[in-house]
Amino acid sequence: MENKDTKEKLLRQFAPQLEKVSSATLVWILFLLGVIGLGVYAFVTQVTKGHIVTGMRDNVVWGIYIVNFIFFMGMSYSGAIISGTLQLFRTEWRKPIIRMAEYLAIISLLIGPGYILLCIGRLDRLYYLALFGRIQSPITWDVIAISTDIFGCLIFLYLSILRDIASLRDFSELKIPAWRKKVYSMLALGYTGTPEQEKRLRRATDIMATMVIAIAIIVYSVLAWIFSVTLQPGWHSTIFGPYFVIAAVYSGTGVLIIAMWVFRKVYHLDQYITRKHFVAMGVLMVVLAALFGYFTFSDYLTKWYGSEKNDESLIRILFTEYYWPFIFSNYIGVLIPLLVVGIAKLRTITNITLSALVVIVALWFNRYLIVIPTLESPYLPIQDSRPDWVNYTGTWVEFSLMAAGVALFCLLFTLASKFVPVMNVSEMAEIPKPESSELFKAEESLL
Amino acid sequence: MQTQNKIRIIFIFLLCCYNLVTSAQIKKDSATAITPTITFTYLNSNDTIILNANIFDKKEKGVFAIKNAVIEFFASGDKKTRNLGQAKADEEGNAVLKLPVAKGLPQDKDGKTTYTAKFNGKDKYRPALETFTAKFARITVNFSKEDSLRFILVTATQVDRKDAIKPIQKEKIIVYVPRLFNLLKIGETDLDVAGKGKVEYPGNLVGDSLGNIIVIARIEDNDVFGNVQGQSSISWGIPKQYYLAEKPTRELWTPIAPIWMIVTLIIMLTGVWAHYIYAVIQLIKIKQISKKKPDSSS
Repeated sequence: MENKDTKEKLLRQFAPQLEKVSSATLVWILFLLGVIGLGVYAFVTQVTKGHIVTGMRDNVVWGIYIVNFIFFMGMSYSGAIISGTLQLFRTEWRKPIIRMAEYLAIISLLIGPGYILLCIGRLDRLYYLALFGRIQSPITWDVIAISTDIFGCLIFLYLSILRDIASLRDFSELKIPAWRKKVYSMLALGYTGTPEQEKRLRRATDIMATMVIAIAIIVYSVLAWIFSVTLQPGWHSTIFGPYFVIAAVYSGTGVLIIAMWVFRKVYHLDQYITRKHFVAMGVLMVVLAALFGYFTFSDYLTKWYGSEKNDESLIRILFTEYYWPFIFSNYIGVLIPLLVVGIAKLRTITNITLSALVVIVALWFNRYLIVIPTLESPYLPIQDSRPDWVNYTGTWVEFSLMAAGVALFCLLFTLASKFVPVMNVSEMAEIPKPESSELFKAEESLL
Repeated sequence: MQTQNKIRIIFIFLLCCYNLVTSAQIKKDSATAITPTITFTYLNSNDTIILNANIFDKKEKGVFAIKNAVIEFFASGDKKTRNLGQAKADEEGNAVLKLPVAKGLPQDKDGKTTYTAKFNGKDKYRPALETFTAKFARITVNFSKEDSLRFILVTATQVDRKDAIKPIQKEKIIVYVPRLFNLLKIGETDLDVAGKGKVEYPGNLVGDSLGNIIVIARIEDNDVFGNVQGQSSISWGIPKQYYLAEKPTRELWTPIAPIWMIVTLIIMLTGVWAHYIYAVIQLIKIKQISKKKPDSSS
C-alpha cells in the first residue's frame, strides 16, 4: 500500500535530477569521458603494439587487469548479495539504499569482464571460446556463470525499478522529452499497481532476489576456483571459494557506503539517508571485516605451518618485498572499520565513509597480493627469465585502462541516477505494515 | 727552482695516483678471481675404475657447482704419468671418468697409483688440482649354502707391481643390497689371512619378479685401496609381485567432460534459467493484465 502524497513529494524532489543536467554534473561527465578517452588511447596502443606495452611477461601473465576483474566482479556480487538479502528480509532501512546496491551489482558486472578481454593477446580469436570451449576448463565455467549472472541481475534490476518507472510515466509534473516518456511507458509494461500485478511483481522479485544471491555466491566461487584448482603456491586452497565471497561482499559494502555518501551530498538526501543507514552498513562492514580477517589468517596460518617449500617462499616474499601492501590489506584494512564502528564516539558518517575508503583500497591490494606474488614465484624455472621479466610492474597503459574502468563505473552510475531515481521511491512511499513497523523500531533501537 | 718543485710535486702526486689505481685494480682482480674446490673420489668396481671430480665454488651463501668445467685426469707412478682423458662437469659439478681396465696404469714401488684431477682454469676461475692414491684391488662375491643357512662369500685380492695376486688381509668388508633409493647394509665381516670373509644372507629380502638380487661387497675409504667394490647376482630374493598401479584419470584431457561435471552443470543451469523464465513470465502476465484493463493506466 503506497502513500500517494509521500510518493509525489519524493518524485518532485527527484524530478530536477531527472529533467536536467547541471553544469557541475556536465563537467563531471566530461571529466569522466576524458579519462575514458585516455583508456581508449591506451587500448589502441596495446592492440597496435601488443602486450609488450604492459608489464605482463612470461612469468606474470596476469597483472592489474585481472586484479581489477576480480575487484569489479566482487563489487557486483556484493551488490547482488546485499540487495537480494535486504529485499528478502524486508529490512526497513533498506529502502533508500537498495537501489544503489542494485546499480552497483549490474554496473560492476558490465565493467569487470572487460578486463579479461584486455588480457587476451589475440582478441580476433575470441570466438574460439564459443567454438572450441571445453566444459572441463574453469575459464569456461566462468564465461557461462558471468553471462548467466548478467541476465539474472538485469531481470532483478528491471523488476526492482518497474514500479518507479510506472510512477515516472504517470507523474505529470515531470518535464522530460516525449521520447523519454515513451521509453518509460514502454518499460512500465502497463503496470498500474493492481493487486494482481503487485502480487506477481513481488513474487518475481523475491524469486530473483533469491537467485541473485545464489548465483553471486556460485559465480564468485567459480572465479576463486580458477585460482584454487591450480597447484600454484598461495592459490591452491580449499577455502578460496568462501574467502573470495566474503572479500567480495566486504569490498562491495565499502563501495556502497561511498556511493551513499556521494549521492547524499550531491542530491541532498540527508533526510532519507541518515546516520542510522551508515551505522547499519558500518555494522555489516565490521562483521565482514571480522570474517575476512578470520579467513585470511586461517589461509596463511595453515600455509605457514605446512612449511611446504613454495608456500614458505611465497610468505617470505609477502613479508619482505610486499611488506607494506600486505600489512595494509590484511591488518589495517581489517582493524580500521573495527575501531571506527566499534567505538561509539568514532561512529560518525564521515568516519564510517573514510573507513570504507580504506577497506576498498585494502581489498584492491589484497587481490593484487593474491595474483602477482604467486606468479612471480613459479614452480618451474623458465629459461632466460630476467629479473625485470619475473618481477611485475604495471605500465601507464594498464593504469590508464584501470582509471578508465573506474571512470566508466562512475559515469554509468551517474547516468543511471539520471534515468531512474537513485532511491526506490515506490518503496519509500509504502506505508509500513504494523509488524514491520515494530521491526523497524527494533532495528532503530539496535542502531 | 719553484718550477722544478712544482714538477716534483706533480710527479709525486701522479705516482701516488698510479699506485692507488693499480693497487685497487689488483685488489679488484683478486676479489673477482675465484679459486674453485675439487673433491676427488675413487671407486674400483668390478675392474672398472670410476674417478669422480666434483668441482664447485664455495661461497658464504653456499656451494655453487661449476657447470661445464673441463677436468683432466692423470695417473702417475714412480717414473711416468699417463693422461687418462677428460670429462665435463654436469650441473651438479660432477666430472666422471670410467676406466674399463686398470692394467697398465703407472705404479710406484708399493704398487700404488696416484690419480690426479686437474682443472686448468677458465674465465674468472683459477686452476685447481686434487689427487688420490690407491692400490688396485679386486673383490669377488660368491654364494654358498650350508644346511638351511645361506652365506655370502667375499674374497678380496690385490695385484702388485709384478702382476702377482695376493690376498687382502684383516680389512673390513661391508655387504649391501641395492634398494629403491640407496644401498641397504645387510652385514659386515673382517677378512682372514686368505683374504676371505663370510656373511649370513638374511632370508627376507625382496628381489625382482624372478627373485634375482644383487649383492655388493665393499671396502670403504681405505687408506691403501680407496673404495673397492665387487658385486654378484643370485636368485635368493623373494620374488616381487608387480601389479599395475591404477593411474588417476585426468578427465580434463578427454574430449568429453566427466559425466558428473556435465550433470552438475545441467542441473544448475536448468534450475537458474527456469527461475529466470518464471520471472519473465510474471512480467509478461503483468503486461497482459494491463491490456485487460486499458483504462486503469490512465
